[in-house]
Amino acid sequence: MLKRKLSNKGEQMARVVVPGELLADSPRKTNFTYVENEKTYSSILGLFDEVGFRLIPLEGVYVPSLYDIVVGVVEEVKFAGYTVDINSPYQGFLPAKDSRYEYELGDVISAKVKQVDEVKNIILENARKLREGEIVEISPAKVPRVIGKKNSMLNLLRTATGSEIIVGNNGRIWIKGGNSALAARAILKIEKEAHTTGLTERIETLLREEGK
Amino acid sequence: MEILDEIKKDYVSDLIKKNKRVSERGFFEYRPCTVEKGIFDSAEGSARVKLGKTQVVAGVKIELGTPFKDRPEEGVLSTTAELLPLASPTFEPGPPDEGAIELARIVDRGIRSSNAIDLTSLFLEQDKVLMVFVDIYVLDHDGNLIDASALAAMAALLDTKLPKVEGDQLIRTERTEKLKVTQKVVTCTFSKINSSILLDPELDEEKATSARLTIATTPEHVCAIQKGGRGSFTKEELFNLVDISFEKGNELRKLLE
Amino acid sequence: MMVVQMEKPKLLIDGKRVDGRALDELRPLKIQAGVLNKADGSAYVEWGNNRILAAVYGPRECVPRHDANPYRAVIHCRYLMAPFSTLDEHGRSGPNRRSIEISKVIKEVFENVVFAERFPKTAIDIFIEVLQADGGTRCAGITAAAVALADAGIPMKDLPCAVAVGKIENQVALDFGKLEDNYGDGDMPIAVAPRNNEILLLQMDGMFTKDELRKAVELALTAIPKINALQVDALKKHYAMKKEIEG
Repeated sequence: MLKRKLSNKGEQMARVVVPGELLADSPRKTNFTYVENEKTYSSILGLFDEVGFRLIPLEGVYVPSLYDIVVGVVEEVKFAGYTVDINSPYQGFLPAKDSRYEYELGDVISAKVKQVDEVKNIILENARKLREGEIVEISPAKVPRVIGKKNSMLNLLRTATGSEIIVGNNGRIWIKGGNSALAARAILKIEKEAHTTGLTERIETLLREEGK
Repeated sequence: MEILDEIKKDYVSDLIKKNKRVSERGFFEYRPCTVEKGIFDSAEGSARVKLGKTQVVAGVKIELGTPFKDRPEEGVLSTTAELLPLASPTFEPGPPDEGAIELARIVDRGIRSSNAIDLTSLFLEQDKVLMVFVDIYVLDHDGNLIDASALAAMAALLDTKLPKVEGDQLIRTERTEKLKVTQKVVTCTFSKINSSILLDPELDEEKATSARLTIATTPEHVCAIQKGGRGSFTKEELFNLVDISFEKGNELRKLLE
Repeated sequence: MMVVQMEKPKLLIDGKRVDGRALDELRPLKIQAGVLNKADGSAYVEWGNNRILAAVYGPRECVPRHDANPYRAVIHCRYLMAPFSTLDEHGRSGPNRRSIEISKVIKEVFENVVFAERFPKTAIDIFIEVLQADGGTRCAGITAAAVALADAGIPMKDLPCAVAVGKIENQVALDFGKLEDNYGDGDMPIAVAPRNNEILLLQMDGMFTKDELRKAVELALTAIPKINALQVDALKKHYAMKKEIEG
């Protein structure tokens, strides 16, 4: 039974679905679902928003998508470029000819996913070295909650803490300056409670109380 | 190697759509099969099976030993299989891998479940029993090693003569009575390719197989089943294959006479 | 010279089994999802006196490298019984022939349901540890591993589960415990994809007539939805929507 409740902010409760659970009696094309005999089923443990017909994974490793922003660590310096650890079963590769700077083993960079082919070779571009600051690593499935609708949560974090924050779709978040400790705490709290309602208010409260 | 396998898979699939197989036979027909008993004198029992181009030998050795604690009046049966590197370019030297282990355990299961070997007949006195070691040696792999191995093992057991027991010694040069065999167990192995099911897959058919089902039978009972591969079966397919196993099992059983 | 006669205990009295169950009754079964911290996914199952832990790592880099498949994730499965898991003497550590065979047939269950093509070149490693064994451990292991894979966020077309059927006095009986395993007739573990009843694992030893086999399979299929419901419940409970959260 799908219970649809509206909280003060107009958020709708989604229901938890499991692999093999029926989502629709007609074929629909949505991420993380599959169609069999004209019916659509979930392939993952996730949150299903029936109204918007969206399925959001609750867990899972990071699989790079085109145009994702990633925060990575240079793992190998090769002649043609750099192998980058992007917190994924797949490594990223930053071609030397596409980067203006020379990087070293252990450098932390942000970059954009330029290309993903069928065998998951990942090419990066627009790299930028991230100096100082700290990195918080969360489950990649929870990153959308840290960003929020139209960056709402991310802007809230930035304004309240004054920190520079770069959110990698790969679950790595770089924080520098401002009240970075508070930003990190807030992000970890979002990760822990990503699937619950009323989270925005609780984060606002945390930032307000602790920001004093 | 892999590209060739892909081409072979398509070739086999296409043939099946036209109701044909790689060799000229029906979907539930065995390749030509021969069973020879007593091919090695050194073993207490032995046999060679040729199933199409697949070739398997089995040897039986008898030892004196102690029974298992929970079955003190029974002898011991142990079955092993070796996929010899000479049998196929894909077999590597080394200890038995999961395929060899599974093969041996399937063959063993059919024999054990049906009590084909009367293990109580191997009891000599307290803490002294005869142990029966069955070793399956795969010599040439052209598909369906299970049925060939099970047939070879059963034939070798039927061929086995027990050595004379004197005190705590076995006098191997003197053979006495035959090993007491109560049942002739045979296995029938089926391959699922797309939605078709075939009996006795040859190697190229095995490469296109998504799931495999082995059913061991005595004349009136099913005594072991093993499904393998990442494909699946429906219960109706299973029941249908059980029927076919009784029928085709009897044909194989005649070769053991 | 005394020959020890093993008395076969009576497994069925007035239609009730040694633990009071009817022939078609499951043992008590509890499933918890997400019980380990480090593993990507995990589950713990208490089934009768079985205590089984399943953990999943992956998709992750495939080790050994030459094992990797350029088109799909490779699935590894390791089923192992702890040396202290049975009432018998101390077992040896590490895999033996039985556990290797069981690991193989369990792996094949998940090769069927996991959408492995989504993760080429990687490995998905499944670990099933039997901490306490009481009959039907591979079935409990499969049931737990399915929950662990879902908990890890790995996409599958279904949540497979499994149960074993045996025979007591020529009647088929569901979910044998250890005693029934030792003294009953026949043992048929079966794993099924609950949505369409496709058989993903099937093994059998014992002597079954064709009719008994049919009854055994049908009996198992009645239990499958019940076990699946507990798997679904474990996963949903783990992510229960809460209106208020402890600060």
